[in-house]
Amino acid sequence: MDFELSKEQKDIVKAAKEFAEGEFPDRAEEFDRDESFDEAIYKKAADLGFVGTFIKEEYEGPGMGMLEYCLIFEEFAVVDPGIAVAILISSYGAEIIQAFGSEEQKKKYLPPLVKGEAVMGAAFTEPDAGSDLAGATLTTAVREGDEYIINGSKMFITNGDRADYLICFVQTDPDNPNRHARHSMIMVETDREGFEANHLTGKLGIRASDTAELSFNNVRVPASNLVGELGNGFMEAMHLFNLDRIIVAAQAVGTARAALEESIKHVKKRTSFNAPLSSFQSIQFKIADMFSWIQAGRNLVYEAAWRVDLGAIDHKLIAAAKSFCGQMAVKCTDMALQMHGGYGYLAEYKVQRLFRDAKITEIYEGTTEIEKIIMAKNLLG
Amino acid sequence: MDIVVCVKRVPLTEEVDLVIDEQKKGIKKDQLAFVLNDWDNYAIEEAIILKEKHGGEVVAITVGSEDDEEVLRRSLAMGADRAIRVDAGDIRRFDSFGISKILARVVKDLPYDLVFTGVLADDDNGGMVGIMMAEELKLNHACMVTAIEIEDGKARTTSELEGGLGEASLVELPALITIQTGINEPRYVSILGIRKAAKKELKIINLADLGLSDEKLSPKTIVEEVYLPPETEGAQMLTGDPDTIASDFIEILTKKGVME
Amino acid sequence: MSEIFVIVEHRLGDTRDITFEMLWKAGELAQKLSYTVTAIILGHDVKSLAENISDRADKIIIFDDERLKNFNADIHKEIIYTLIQESKPALTLIGNTSWGMELAPCLSVKTDLPLATDCIDITPKDNTFIAQRQMFNGKIFSNISFAKSEGCLLTIRAGVFPKDKIGDRKAQIIQQDFPVTDIPVKKSFIEFVETAAGDVDITQAELLISVGRGIGEEENISLIKELAEALGGVVSCSRPIVDKNWLPKYLQVGTSGKSVSPKVYIAVGISGAFQHMAGTSGAGVIIAVNKDPKAPIFRTADYGIVDDLFKIVPVLKDKILEVKKG
Repeated sequence: MDFELSKEQKDIVKAAKEFAEGEFPDRAEEFDRDESFDEAIYKKAADLGFVGTFIKEEYEGPGMGMLEYCLIFEEFAVVDPGIAVAILISSYGAEIIQAFGSEEQKKKYLPPLVKGEAVMGAAFTEPDAGSDLAGATLTTAVREGDEYIINGSKMFITNGDRADYLICFVQTDPDNPNRHARHSMIMVETDREGFEANHLTGKLGIRASDTAELSFNNVRVPASNLVGELGNGFMEAMHLFNLDRIIVAAQAVGTARAALEESIKHVKKRTSFNAPLSSFQSIQFKIADMFSWIQAGRNLVYEAAWRVDLGAIDHKLIAAAKSFCGQMAVKCTDMALQMHGGYGYLAEYKVQRLFRDAKITEIYEGTTEIEKIIMAKNLLG
Repeated sequence: MDIVVCVKRVPLTEEVDLVIDEQKKGIKKDQLAFVLNDWDNYAIEEAIILKEKHGGEVVAITVGSEDDEEVLRRSLAMGADRAIRVDAGDIRRFDSFGISKILARVVKDLPYDLVFTGVLADDDNGGMVGIMMAEELKLNHACMVTAIEIEDGKARTTSELEGGLGEASLVELPALITIQTGINEPRYVSILGIRKAAKKELKIINLADLGLSDEKLSPKTIVEEVYLPPETEGAQMLTGDPDTIASDFIEILTKKGVME
Repeated sequence: MSEIFVIVEHRLGDTRDITFEMLWKAGELAQKLSYTVTAIILGHDVKSLAENISDRADKIIIFDDERLKNFNADIHKEIIYTLIQESKPALTLIGNTSWGMELAPCLSVKTDLPLATDCIDITPKDNTFIAQRQMFNGKIFSNISFAKSEGCLLTIRAGVFPKDKIGDRKAQIIQQDFPVTDIPVKKSFIEFVETAAGDVDITQAELLISVGRGIGEEENISLIKELAEALGGVVSCSRPIVDKNWLPKYLQVGTSGKSVSPKVYIAVGISGAFQHMAGTSGAGVIIAVNKDPKAPIFRTADYGIVDDLFKIVPVLKDKILEVKKG
């Protein structure tokens, strides 16, 4: 048993922290207010190698592990969860290419992500298909000669509007009796005719991150855009979710840590009844609880990531990390806002943003409820 | 252009309440975060910039424990070629005089055209190790430098003087230069840099390897006691809600005749 | 009888304030300990400098040479080394200035004498001295003693001692020669450069709104500009802002920037490092805004506001505009 990060991992943490602290605070409020993002920050991050750290050296990435990815995500999220997502999720879905794509696809799609020359996304959710991915996904891809013709729509797609290519979860065999064999993953370049993306506004949090609804109207892509085997889409999706649930958990830990850091600063400075807030036990208990929950959450994240890096995907553990950290972040940001009182309720305070940013970690990449079902299935059979 | 840069790891103390240790000889550091000394960060960057322009090798050196290697790895990740750590045990037994002797001894055996140190370290604010080294090594030196240009084997330097004045000098190489903040814009550490750093040489040597003993390094200055700043009357605080504060503020300005 | 050496610092024909401050401290110690004060002037055409301080030292030693026209640490070192060898002064005081910071460390190695830098006080104790200095940017003070030696070197922070005359002295002025040509010089002076020239002269402003590291990000500086505009004041800043290239050097207040003397100096997000405060000693009133109640600036400011500048500055601005309107 060893709870120390390696030297290289510690250096990565420091580098990520320095970059985030140097670049994010300036813009976080603006991006949140305007629901905007500046691609220059993403480019800078990519130039420094923070994007697609899991991409292997053959494809021009640093080939780092899940744990390193989590470390970076946590440090970025502490400074601003929205910008963290906008930057680090720019290679979202590349996990599928790397695991299931052909050599040609890997060479084509992976290096530009690392270099900051292309943004990727993955499209699963539909207006009427959220958690029931296999059962309700209706977007279709029909083979015609050397092409697939795609029709349908997708909803809440991260990077939908800014991506250069999106890997899409589509029905290729709707009549297959096995519901988990009805879908495939197909890559769609966003400049294809018939593809449209509509940037969605009004999100509660992580407003620097692009979310879009997509429509596919007879979008034709070459058959070679099929990633992995025909009918293997659900498996591939689960592979991605298993990895990205850990990342979302790391995002939640970072968000919660920011809430704790803000709270500590505030309660040491602000006085009430002629004493600093930090002298009241009701405040002290909150701080102590936040610390222990964050520490517990982080240990879950680290272990889940560490096991992935050892080659063992532990669904139950990943689900536990995701569901615990999501709930924990929501609880911690709530407590932080409570400790800030009226100040916390105001838009210009960071805790208010954190409070709004936290909630998504309970929703995307598998809701808290889905994660609990996964654990229960594992535990109860 | 071979450049040796001496670096130090220091605690971050801004916005932190410092606590004096039991012996009253220093501060408690177990709860503090550590970084590369700000001045040294500029020094490393400057060395790398010169290397990128003129070729050569950049070597980073520190005297300290294994934890202090962190700043060497950072230097390597930024672009230094190799690093040396002098493991001298507990370095609190040395003063700047001793540290400069150790560093000078290490530098002596290295190829170099320039030696850089930061002007100051953020912890003890002594500001003497660099120039002491220069004297040990009988090197030309320039202090508080905010600009360097290399011209035919000489360095044209601008030293920062008081009152917004600079002093331009021509220094024959080899020379030691103490680097002032603001001379450049230090780069971020990249992931690729960290990866490369892992493959670069980080040599550890001890005092015996250098033929040095405590006897030759015994301190000339002794910290008798450290303490928190004595209480002073300090500022009269304007308190209350922002509106009240603003009113009081305007009253002061009006009284002083800077507001109609 | 023991001696205290004071190395006179002068530039472009003027004796720098630090010289008077060191002479004050040397004079005070000399009175207490029955020592004598010896001022040492190295330069060219420096007779008038000696006259300036002739009532502040017991002895003034002048080295006048063409080659001493510009400061050169190596030449200074060699000459002062020789003097120290001859006279063995108990104390040698050097300004903790750019030049002093180059001279003192090499002199210390050359003479093998202990050195304490940036001292803010010196107290005699059992035939030796205790130097008081600061660490961690003024957050911690320390008392330094010296290992047994034939004297010690100290560099003195500018602005901590009075510039006044102390006691009654009449200096014997001694002109000395030194074979300056024998010293190999491998560093040559080119010129002084004005690093802080610009179209705004903060030294003439009556009201300065100065911004420091606490502003966090470049774009937030507009907040300070707006406040300055509302007040009809001028924007200035501390060193980190210039290091980051957010504002030009000519707006910098402090040791390496300008010394200012406004009626009111408003310091926003400035922690109050002594290098900065040294430039504000001429200010009538200092009002500091900082979120850290322990920031050193509150020790020297007249008025303090402990709050997040992002909260308070907009309120101030609005209120001022309101009052001005009428």
